[in-house]
Amino acid sequence: MLTAAELDALRLSLQVALVAVACSLPAAVAAAWLLARCDFPGKSLLDAVIHLPLVLPPVVIGFFLLLLFGTKGPLGGWLYEHLGIRLIFTRWGAALAAAVMAFPLMVRAIRLALEAVDRGLEAAARTLGASRLDVFCSITLPLMLPGILSGCIVAFAAALGDFGATITFVGNVQGETQTLSLAIYSLTQTPDGDAAALRLVLISLAVAIAALVVSEALARRVRLFIGRA
Amino acid sequence: MPTLRDVVLAASAALLALLAAAAGAQSQAQSQQRSLAQAPAPAAGELVVFAAASLQNAFAEVGRLHAAAGGTPLRFSFASSGVLARQIEQGAPAAIFASADEQWMDYLQRRQLVATGSRKSLLVNRLVLVVPADNVASVTIGPGFDFAALLGKDGRWVTGDPSNVPVGRYAQEALTRLGAWTAAKPRLVRAENVRVALAFVERGEAAAGIVYETDAAVSKKVRIAGVFPPDSHAPVSYPVAAMAKHDTPAARAFLHFLDSEQAREVFRKYGFTVR
Repeated sequence: MLTAAELDALRLSLQVALVAVACSLPAAVAAAWLLARCDFPGKSLLDAVIHLPLVLPPVVIGFFLLLLFGTKGPLGGWLYEHLGIRLIFTRWGAALAAAVMAFPLMVRAIRLALEAVDRGLEAAARTLGASRLDVFCSITLPLMLPGILSGCIVAFAAALGDFGATITFVGNVQGETQTLSLAIYSLTQTPDGDAAALRLVLISLAVAIAALVVSEALARRVRLFIGRA
Repeated sequence: MPTLRDVVLAASAALLALLAAAAGAQSQAQSQQRSLAQAPAPAAGELVVFAAASLQNAFAEVGRLHAAAGGTPLRFSFASSGVLARQIEQGAPAAIFASADEQWMDYLQRRQLVATGSRKSLLVNRLVLVVPADNVASVTIGPGFDFAALLGKDGRWVTGDPSNVPVGRYAQEALTRLGAWTAAKPRLVRAENVRVALAFVERGEAAAGIVYETDAAVSKKVRIAGVFPPDSHAPVSYPVAAMAKHDTPAARAFLHFLDSEQAREVFRKYGFTVR
């Protein structure tokens, strides 16, 4: 039904997007907490840097990643020499590019959810003797969950559709970095590749619908769980 | 339980979002090709020339000579021949097209987009294997040569995408004839055009690349590790023609200028063989 190359592209897209979202989630929660609850010199600078991928052209982000994480770059060179990890031309590099592009979207959604949490409930828990960590885990985090979930879905969609940063940083390697977007791009350049490109577009559509339906079902469960159903 | 209404709403939203994303990705991809199809119409009297990426340096210089000799000012767009041909097919206002292989010119000719009698095979190039400048390896490229040895344990090689970029097509043909394609294919990084491939090798990210001899000549950060024997691939021939929809005397004058001794000198200087 699906050719080997199409299955490769689909599997890779899902893998890259899932890894990107999973790995950036803790960082996004931390960043959202810093921006919502803390005040420190340089806060607006941090806010600006986090939102850079939203306003800069994706190719520029890809180029920055290339300079930093390429095999001769400061971070990439260190990773390669000491840990044998190479990011360029690999799916992990593609996940990094997708994660960077999706990060601001995730932070925005989680920050909104965090700001909507009733501080009164947290204060009440503290008066009843709960530690700060306890308050976070049993009060704040569950109340933030719908926002975290929507942040993850938006980030997943952004990571799935990333093109400019991926192709500039990790190139177009079939089976390793050729996600659905890159595969569609290659096919639209190929003579008579339009039909195959359309097939991939329909596959992307199916994935998107599946993700939305699953997220809706999950969101309902979460709302029941925290008592807002 | 999600109701039917919820599913229908979610599906419609997804469809709209995906169509928007697909349109966005398409236009993002096209805007990255320095395309003139979406640029403002050329100024009156300006000649739009679409040329293969490998012709960048030579054509820019020929263009300057052409303007100095009193010819119409030129506006260039350099990209992979395939990208340019597809843009011309979609109506891009190119008056002249110079391709890096005959196939992409044939593609336009089959669609009646080439001005009759204007097509001419102008230049010939050679296919070479390049490595980053600090790698002193040299390889005799012949049947059964060991490409994998040059790449090392996990190195990758880069060239234009063999599905549509001329240099990639020649590379695939040559490696297949020499029996090295099956081993090489899994390690291939597909670049949008030959200059992007060259850049990957220059940065040392790719262990090796297959580009034209003329591209290796303009870069100081790569060196040629081997030359592909001419019988391993179709001749690297550059056809040039006027486009049927913009066939003006100025276009034909430029085509004529490409044949002049001045222009030939420039092409030879960059390493092309002039027919």
